[in-house]
Amino acid sequence: VSLKNVLAVALGILSAIGGFVDIGDLVFNTQAGATFGFQLLWVVVIGVVGIIVYSEMCGRVSAVAKRPVFDLVRERTGFGAGMATLIASEVVNLMTCTAEIGGVAICFQLLSGLPYRLLIPLAVLGLVVASWVLPFVWIERVFGYLGLCLLVFAVAAIKLHPRWGHVAHGFLPGSHSGGSLMVYLYFVVGLLGAAMTPYEVYFYSSGAVEDRWGLEELGLNKVTAMIGYGLGGLLSFALMIVAGVLFLPRGISPEFLGTPALAAEHTLGQTGLLLALIGILFAVGGAAIETSFSGAYNLAQFFGWRWGKKERPAVASRFTLSWLVIFALALLLVMTGYDPVKLTEYSVIFSVVALPLTYLPILLVANDHTYMGANVNGKLANFFGGLYLILILAIAVAAIPLMLLTHGGKG
Amino acid sequence: MVFPVKRVLVVGVMLVLLGAGCGSSKLGAKALSQEAKSLQSQAAEGALLARDAVSGKTTRIYTREHSSDLYRAASKAEASLKAARTQPTLEPELRRLAELATRISTDLQHLGGASMDEERALARELQAAADESEKIGEALQ
Repeated sequence: VSLKNVLAVALGILSAIGGFVDIGDLVFNTQAGATFGFQLLWVVVIGVVGIIVYSEMCGRVSAVAKRPVFDLVRERTGFGAGMATLIASEVVNLMTCTAEIGGVAICFQLLSGLPYRLLIPLAVLGLVVASWVLPFVWIERVFGYLGLCLLVFAVAAIKLHPRWGHVAHGFLPGSHSGGSLMVYLYFVVGLLGAAMTPYEVYFYSSGAVEDRWGLEELGLNKVTAMIGYGLGGLLSFALMIVAGVLFLPRGISPEFLGTPALAAEHTLGQTGLLLALIGILFAVGGAAIETSFSGAYNLAQFFGWRWGKKERPAVASRFTLSWLVIFALALLLVMTGYDPVKLTEYSVIFSVVALPLTYLPILLVANDHTYMGANVNGKLANFFGGLYLILILAIAVAAIPLMLLTHGGKG
Repeated sequence: MVFPVKRVLVVGVMLVLLGAGCGSSKLGAKALSQEAKSLQSQAAEGALLARDAVSGKTTRIYTREHSSDLYRAASKAEASLKAARTQPTLEPELRRLAELATRISTDLQHLGGASMDEERALARELQAAADESEKIGEALQ
């Protein structure tokens, strides 16, 4: 193992940690913490293990079979179901991209004091330029590394001196207090949806093909998925813990993207505030690029177009046009003034509905000897893959009724 | 007797509009309790922000922009509470909540441009408003 390889793995892990949190995690983890304290920490563990299981699987499929997720969705589910999945995932991608762009503009506003509506087009312009100019690997790194500023929430969680016994108790599912059962279940679904959002696997598997992963990258895939996402999950714990300590006793129900930053500011002063805002800015900015690219990857892979960030725009013209159009549509939607936090809640809940059709084809192909040869799923991967598929089906059925019954978690 | 379809539809639409109260709404105890919870949240967040501003933990820009977000939410709540109707037994709570919403939105509006002494006073007022909202909310449950 050369130093260069170790460094590459370490850099990959760091960008995976920094890129783990998006606006969905920020919203659902702080709201869950402010409503139920530490009682839902166990759901984050389940969500993080789920995204590790399926990211590792789709990274392995991409490395061995050179097939990204949506290629498999169309082949394995047929044209009709594939088209339904495509439409659902494009709607969710657009909603998420819109919310993330709104989040970028809000962070710029909280940092600069300039008007929100002026900052929206500037934010989109900045993201388009970054997507156009930066090579694929640098998009992941720049946004992933600067997203690491979110570690300020881990420091804040420690400095707030939570009762660690109560925190530990939160990792065990059990009876709950502080809200109705329906609201509790709504947050269970939302936290799982935020952790296992489909665009992450679309982007991860397409990225593996973009980076031309082969058999020698199987180890890197395993380490990135397990350690990168595993440690990224710590940020979700931290967000829930700070909300549980600071917001729950005061009756603060976070309704704004600026509210989580208040926790870092309260604990660590102006430095904490700036780190939190920069971290949120790059986390949601990176996610905005990922969602627009995921939308373009899905379309290109479904219809068989040339695709890839590495291709010249003139060669992969329909792919390039697709991500530009997604940014343009998201810009129009953000300019309507709809609240990005509300939009995030809807996009996470709707994304849960699209989860089974995204993850089932991955599980099927990861078990197919024709594609995978000796690298098919082992017993452990199949056990967890099957278990999570059942879980995903259950939450997909429950997601929208729970959202309606609880008025979006308000009770 | 047979009613013409168009006339029935027109009457139906008018009844729906009347039922909707043309912009006002009839709130029950649960809805009022939710409003109290929202007001408590906005006031408590404003109080926390004001206290942190006094102790120099926050930046001027963040205080101004975030308090402005909170102000917009509180003034929206104020408008909807002032337009709302409720059962006669809940009228006192509705009035108290509408008054609280006015106080909270006024305080939050001032917070963005306040001096340190004013921030200190606003922190106290907002915390008192949060406590009062909490009490009303609990009484309604």
